[in-house]
Amino acid sequence: MTAAPSLDQIRSARFRAEREPGWKRLDALVLRSENNGLRSLGYDEAQELASLYRQAMNALSVARAISMDKALLTYLDALCARAYLVVYAPQESLHGLFTRLISHGIPQAARRSGPALLIGFVAMLLGMFLGAVLYDLDKSWFYTFVPGSLADGRTPEASANYLRSTLFDGGPGSHDDLGSFATFLFSHNTQVAILTFALGIFVTLPSFVLTFYNGLILGTFWKVFAEKGLGYEVTGWLSIHGVTEMAAFCIACAGGAQLGLAVLLPGQLSRREALRQRGRDAVKLMILAGLMLVCAAILEGFFRQTVQSTEARLAIGWGIGLGWVLWLGLSGRETQT
Amino acid sequence: MKAHTPTNLPLWETKGLLRHTPPESVPLTFRLSSLGARMGAQSLDVLFTYGGVFALILGLVWLGVFSWNGLITFYALITFFMRIPYYILSELVWNGRTLGKRVVGVRVISLDGRRLTPHQIVARNLMKEVEVFLPLSTLLGAAEMTWWLALILLTWMGGTLLVPVFSKLNQRLGDMVAGTVVVNTPKPQLLPDLSAQMATRGYEFRAEHLGVYGRFELQTLETILRDPPRNPEMRKRISEVAQTIHRRISYDEEVQASREWDFLLEFYRQQREFLESRTLFGDTRENKFHAVEAKPTKG
Repeated sequence: MTAAPSLDQIRSARFRAEREPGWKRLDALVLRSENNGLRSLGYDEAQELASLYRQAMNALSVARAISMDKALLTYLDALCARAYLVVYAPQESLHGLFTRLISHGIPQAARRSGPALLIGFVAMLLGMFLGAVLYDLDKSWFYTFVPGSLADGRTPEASANYLRSTLFDGGPGSHDDLGSFATFLFSHNTQVAILTFALGIFVTLPSFVLTFYNGLILGTFWKVFAEKGLGYEVTGWLSIHGVTEMAAFCIACAGGAQLGLAVLLPGQLSRREALRQRGRDAVKLMILAGLMLVCAAILEGFFRQTVQSTEARLAIGWGIGLGWVLWLGLSGRETQT
Repeated sequence: MKAHTPTNLPLWETKGLLRHTPPESVPLTFRLSSLGARMGAQSLDVLFTYGGVFALILGLVWLGVFSWNGLITFYALITFFMRIPYYILSELVWNGRTLGKRVVGVRVISLDGRRLTPHQIVARNLMKEVEVFLPLSTLLGAAEMTWWLALILLTWMGGTLLVPVFSKLNQRLGDMVAGTVVVNTPKPQLLPDLSAQMATRGYEFRAEHLGVYGRFELQTLETILRDPPRNPEMRKRISEVAQTIHRRISYDEEVQASREWDFLLEFYRQQREFLESRTLFGDTRENKFHAVEAKPTKG
């Protein structure tokens, strides 16, 4: 199995023998930059990589024309493909990504997604309205809509005093474990939001239904308190985090709607292409929803328990809501013109 | 030449190949990873994340670093992060390769051949929620469902899981949204050049001997020669090959059983030299039917 250079080699074997050291070197460089990143290469090595890559590409092109050595062809093809990924598709720099997303990406995406946002908010509002109306007609709807674990004793039969106490006495979490309560809320809510978003690809319907259902619970819940004359107080209790939280669900639903609309109404594009294009905004909406949910979890976990006056709750909740609107409406405008 | 990919693979081997033409305009081929490999990578990732969380929590309980309350907080956070965020972060940091993908040897690349953008990574992994985690958690909770609901969910999820089977590039829904595709990591492995191997000389083939076969037969012979016989059965098969070639090219000299391997090596070398020089003169012979095919295409 020894190579015999003295032998009169055939043309393609000579071609290969001449270039093999360069390929081996390229292979080593590629392996190193794959494992440790391109930054681990020195200046000279980076230059060497680029030039060896072009030489290998050239060799591949020639080998395809002159050589019938299958081993050589598959080797060069794999080597070039691997080197190509290192040269042309290295890791994206994450520097400045977040700032760019906050200042331009997300607000612009939100402004472009009018119809989808409309779908999201309509789903929620419709649910709330219907929940309140149905509860007004027949109280047993409450048990249909609101899961027992969520109700936590706050049922239609509960006394006004008890209901009032749930609004002002710390609620479900006592003061010492606010942090863990907020964390739990965040991870649970974000999971739900991601699900709402991702299900949107099935022509929007599941997202709509989930958001609508959220609205139903909210509407019914509100009506239970409103009936006992606690409408103002419960609005404050819900507003402080709910404005942000529910808006986040609506926005996640809007992201899902973007995907669903791409499947449903691709227009002139193929469905795959439409998905790809609309996906850009959809993902940004989902990131926005995630950010808002972090915010909402902090509000719900800490401030709802510590801020006890309804006026302050309303002011904080809607003030922050206004802040979101201003950010999304005004940020990143200059580059659009 | 249409029937062949740039790698000179015959058409029946081109299934599952993705061609990309870089700026150097030399087409490259990537092999789409099989669904089994992807399933394996996904299972490994699930195993790593859940196993890791389990071990971590056990360790923390054992060490007693956190209070009970802190532990629950930590658990809530970590179970959230091991789902979508783990995949996003690992693909961001390792350029399209999660731990499971690294083990299996597959990676995500962008369909346009450029670098993977963070958007693409986030998009394809957000969709994992409906394609992987929802079916998983539904399976775990399926016992409490009524049968018709279970049936509906089953067909729906089956449909979702079948998307990559029917999609041309084996893309799942997340890949379609992101414009990505999962390929095998190319493994360059240079096998020795057979034509440079020392063989006891003594066989001389003339043009009429070498004019019979084409590229396909040559490369099949190459595959055979890459695997030297180790047992009598393999030796018998080699002998069959040698005798068939011997008969087919009507080689005049008798080939002894002990020298069949040398005969094949020498034949490979000369056949390749012959075919390669024919190609240089514009006479490409794809397979042994080259003489038959040449006639109808002329007319």
